Amino acid sequence: MQGASTRKLLQAQKLLSAINAKAPEHGQLEHVETIPFGASLSIDRYRMKNGLSILLCEDKSAPVVSVHTWFRVGSRHEHEGKTGLAHLFEHLMFNEIEGRGAGYFDRKLEEAGAESNASTWLDWTQYNIAIPKEQLGLVLELEAERMSKLVLREPQVTSEKEVVANERRYRVDDDVEGAVNELLWATAFTKHAYKWPTIGWMKDIEGFTTQDCEAFYRAFYAPNNAVLVISGDFKLETVLGILSQRYGVVASATLPLEDAQPEPPQTSERRLEVKKPTATEKLVVGYHSPALGDFDHPAISLLSEVLFGGRASRLHQRMVRELELASEVRGSVGPFHDPGLFEVYVAAREGHSAEELLTVIDEELKKVMEAPVTEAEMARASARFELGLLGGLETADGKASTIGFYETVLGRPAAAFERLEMTRRLTQSDLLRAARRYFDPRQRSVIFVRPELGKAGAEAAE
Amino acid sequence: MSAAMQSGSTAADVLVETNRALPLVSFSIALKTGSLLDPEGMSGATRMMTRWMRRTAGGRDSQTIDTEIDALGGAFGADVSPSTLVFQGTVITRSLDGLMRITGDVLARPGFAEAELERLRRETLAELTEALDDDRGLCRRWFRDRVFGAHPYARSVTGTASTLARIQADDLKALYRRVVRPENLIFAFSGDIERERAEALAEQLRSQLSAGPAPRDESTEPAVIPGRRLTFVDKPDRTQTQILIGGLGTHPLDTDHLALHVANTVFGGTFTARLTQEVRAKRGWSYGAYSSLPIDRRRQAFSMWTFPKAEDAAPCIELQLKMLHDLRSKGITKKELSWAKKYLVRSHAFALDTASKRVGLLLDSALYGLPAGYYENYIEQVKSVTLETANAAVVARLSEDDLLVTVVGTEAQIGEAIRKSVPELASSEVVAFDTEPR
Repeated sequence: MQGASTRKLLQAQKLLSAINAKAPEHGQLEHVETIPFGASLSIDRYRMKNGLSILLCEDKSAPVVSVHTWFRVGSRHEHEGKTGLAHLFEHLMFNEIEGRGAGYFDRKLEEAGAESNASTWLDWTQYNIAIPKEQLGLVLELEAERMSKLVLREPQVTSEKEVVANERRYRVDDDVEGAVNELLWATAFTKHAYKWPTIGWMKDIEGFTTQDCEAFYRAFYAPNNAVLVISGDFKLETVLGILSQRYGVVASATLPLEDAQPEPPQTSERRLEVKKPTATEKLVVGYHSPALGDFDHPAISLLSEVLFGGRASRLHQRMVRELELASEVRGSVGPFHDPGLFEVYVAAREGHSAEELLTVIDEELKKVMEAPVTEAEMARASARFELGLLGGLETADGKASTIGFYETVLGRPAAAFERLEMTRRLTQSDLLRAARRYFDPRQRSVIFVRPELGKAGAEAAE
Repeated sequence: MSAAMQSGSTAADVLVETNRALPLVSFSIALKTGSLLDPEGMSGATRMMTRWMRRTAGGRDSQTIDTEIDALGGAFGADVSPSTLVFQGTVITRSLDGLMRITGDVLARPGFAEAELERLRRETLAELTEALDDDRGLCRRWFRDRVFGAHPYARSVTGTASTLARIQADDLKALYRRVVRPENLIFAFSGDIERERAEALAEQLRSQLSAGPAPRDESTEPAVIPGRRLTFVDKPDRTQTQILIGGLGTHPLDTDHLALHVANTVFGGTFTARLTQEVRAKRGWSYGAYSSLPIDRRRQAFSMWTFPKAEDAAPCIELQLKMLHDLRSKGITKKELSWAKKYLVRSHAFALDTASKRVGLLLDSALYGLPAGYYENYIEQVKSVTLETANAAVVARLSEDDLLVTVVGTEAQIGEAIRKSVPELASSEVVAFDTEPR
């Protein structure tokens, strides 16, 4: 007699055989593995002949589906003089598909009730569409088309450049924290492509041509550079058939080699002082930190929770409550493919200087380098981790986002749960080692922000 | 309405939506009154009282409370709006009892330590200073103040430096005794919890509070302030502006409420709506361009939001005013209506796709006194909107004449151009960004 799992396997093989028999040139599918995703869900990994990675997470808890397409291209793949191209391109992906007319993509998706968006960061670009389950076929049709049939025209590129320039003004030029954060990364990195901002330098944004955008599209937007995640209420046999037919017509591409430039070790502290139109002094510090896949990353992340996570954290207690030096203090370690930064941001209260803030930061970091944090602190931080993970998985979109991110950066779609387990196994010694390794002042960049605020005029006229 | 929505319990004051997919429970304990009950001249009092309760629960200190909540795998906070005060918690199921115990301490046994109040006051003042860096927040603050004028909706939920200075411990204790009454509460639970347990927890908490008459929201409807007005919030060195244009909007009890909602979807409610197409897609003037029609217990404001660079601000305002004029004079088209209805009906799935969202809708219905079946019949109501009702609602509710334009920018650079961009301006003022609205 056959067991249930054997029967399921045979049915799946039969299904794939039937789909592959009708598949277009590049559309043959292979089931690679099934990966547990938390207590009750799993991820099925498929690979298409053209190299497209497909991750399916069936979840019937609501009649909706989320489709995420992650491309392994971010601002790290750009070059000096062409910064911001990955992000500009993300905007252009919503414009026009061959034979569909400008604006069709958004209009059609909204008519179908979709919620769609996209984002670009250092290592990746992702597109997300959440849709009532009946409309999944439409989403897959349009997503497959824009992977290979995007139309780039001069007027749209010109207009979108202006939109991105306005986004930059909003997020960076007229935003104190955004502007200083950009300066921090440009100071901390001298070689690696993490040194320029994802949104790009303004002069580069203004200089892009339609040809730049076309070349970028041909180089990076290919199925063998993408991960497709579908999470939610769908029928496996229907979805696999659609995927094969829609994406199977898209050929793989020869991907460009990344001109990777490892960042040389920083051996002395770098300090900068800037003036900004703000009421109080600010302090921004960046310590070189491990890559997301590094053994030390969970340890430094847990340490970050102990130091900066919430109002019970050491730094909040000391700087905001006890000494009342700061109105806000934050710290976090970057989730990047390559080593990034452990960033600290503190806003001083009126009458206090950024130097005072740095003194306290130094005192607190020295403490965790000299003595282990307590077990109670580790338990508190670990519980915050668990709550954060579970809270992010409530929607189909949250699940797809978590799966897509970890697959793109680490190649392991369920790594969120692996990290939670690793966090639980961490010891006080692990955190002590991480503190000593990464909180070395010689490996940091510090920016002091001084207020420079002209007095605005005031008058009233009836 | 979906089956999931229908399955939710709607017992008067304990709302429950069960979903066992994740080991998480969320809850809201809502007071039917908010910052409108701040004593005269003491805006910010309700928010201050709420934070003071949270930080002195059960006579413990703030550090102890925060550590306990974190260690449980929980989060607990509160949101204050003019009409409501909602305590919200989320916790890993195994720790639900622990977080409910702390919640009971927050609501029933605040320690009200005076040293903590003074620390909180200093902290809030520092937050107000930091808020001056947020141009969008500044624009919203001044818009709300000027669009509602003398109505209490104009007041800041956070308060201002001068109102915060006036608030004394006894004022907050009196406010606490007035508003934290069992009769003023609605409970909402969602996630990994059944109705029976939710009701027991609600009863347990309610029994710890002193009974007494629930306060009433006695606010009146805001009045239209006549004429076209400009408030220019002057801030140095701005390369970009923040602009809000609008006036009074809709009320859920209006017979044309959903018709106006549908028309606004066409005008500025989505990424492909008229505003985004004209301002962003065609001209590249602003990263975002939207219009909104929030609801509250009284009539709220309609507003258009854009943030063009300084040089584009005046033409952007001209364009928006022309678009509003066209909307009123020509209306939306049949094709636009059909599209908007499909969008609203289908995307409603995302208002219901989690237990916490479903129970949130039930809670809103109860808190804001929405008409019976407001959410349950939403899809049918949207489908019933016609071209005539949508366009009539626009003409009836959105005014071109009684309109406020609020701009955050650098006055010396663009002030004159902005004033010229608003024809028939009845009044104009320039205010410094670091002054208090009132």
